[in-house]
Amino acid sequence: MAHLIIGRGNTITSMATPSYVALINSRPLSTSAAALGKRNFRKFLTYGKRGTRYLKKDMRTNPDPELEKVFDRGVRPVGVVTEKKFKSIPEMIPEIIVPDLNGFKKPYVSYKVPDVIQGSFGPQDLFYAVYSDKIAEDVKNNKLNEDGSPAEPSEEELLTADEAKKKALSIGSDMY
Amino acid sequence: MPRITEILKCVSDMTKQSSNLPEAYIKRAMEQVEWRTPKAIQYRQTEIKRKKFRFTTNRPWTQQFEKQNQPGLRRKKVFVEPILEWTFFKGDRVEILEGKDKGKQGLVNYIIQERNWVMVEGLNCHYRTIGKKKNYPGMMVKSEAPLLVTTQVGLIDPSDNKPTQAEWRYTEEGDKVRVSVRSGRLIPLPKLAEETQDYKTKSTYIEQEKDTPAEELTRITFEPQLKTFAMDIADKMGIKEDRIPRKTYWY
Repeated sequence: MAHLIIGRGNTITSMATPSYVALINSRPLSTSAAALGKRNFRKFLTYGKRGTRYLKKDMRTNPDPELEKVFDRGVRPVGVVTEKKFKSIPEMIPEIIVPDLNGFKKPYVSYKVPDVIQGSFGPQDLFYAVYSDKIAEDVKNNKLNEDGSPAEPSEEELLTADEAKKKALSIGSDMY
Repeated sequence: MPRITEILKCVSDMTKQSSNLPEAYIKRAMEQVEWRTPKAIQYRQTEIKRKKFRFTTNRPWTQQFEKQNQPGLRRKKVFVEPILEWTFFKGDRVEILEGKDKGKQGLVNYIIQERNWVMVEGLNCHYRTIGKKKNYPGMMVKSEAPLLVTTQVGLIDPSDNKPTQAEWRYTEEGDKVRVSVRSGRLIPLPKLAEETQDYKTKSTYIEQEKDTPAEELTRITFEPQLKTFAMDIADKMGIKEDRIPRKTYWY
């Protein structure tokens, strides 16, 4: 910060001691750029006020991917940036599948209805539902090998963990 | 930031049950926000809103209640005795112990549990004129005044038709029942206790066009299959996918 010196009388330049002392009134004056970009706009929303024009241009032309991730506000990318060009990948665009509601007329439930209490249906229950019948039949008709595996395995019994996972992932849903 | 359930805690169970309205709606209708900071990254999410409400004969989701609880209004605190187990229900026979109609018996019409209030049908009334204008003297209306449950009203013991205090006790079978403290006689719940805005009793409710009846609701249509939710939907919608994504690894 420079100081504006308003001197009354001559300033002290000579080596010899002066006969009088000059009254120097100094008042501070800001000569640097606008308070280093600090601005406080709490009452209304505006664009970004921090940074020089050069910095903002540089950020626009060469965006830093890590910095972008911090300020993207949670928006998921729809494609990939390769060689300064944006390539949209159709698989990344979410496809909302809604069932056909034609003829569906009953959105409410009547008050007369008794409370429906259902137990949870877990993975073990699914196993019992899919495999239990076949296993029971095999045991009855002695169609099991020595180690317990079925002699005539059904389609579901032939499925390995890897294959099942591949089938589930091939749909392309990231949630289920 | 105040918790979402703090507003709804004040509204009593009886009010919520008799209204048939979802709790989220009651909370939304009651909310009185004076100022809320804009939704932007530079703001700290805060809001200035009413936390202490003045409960009245108007229900919390009505416009009159909103007017009585406007943001700028400062009202004196009303002290309400906390009652652990509420014993009064709509349709109960009750005797008035204090006031103009002392000694008279009547049926409970309206309950405001937040203030420990009960309105008895046709008793403890006063007259007021509505719509008075210069030329028109106004219409006179008879309206009931609320009565405090703790001191001004008492449940009637069916054995001697006199007012008592009631208590909740368990029978030998394990049912929770109301019992008169003086004589130990059971005070059964009135039929109108289950009355709400939409029906007098559940069995007398007339099913409308858009209501799912009991048979359709209790029918089980689930068939367990070796498919994930997404696979099941894909089959039903006819979506065929053969591509397998690349293998990913967790380290």
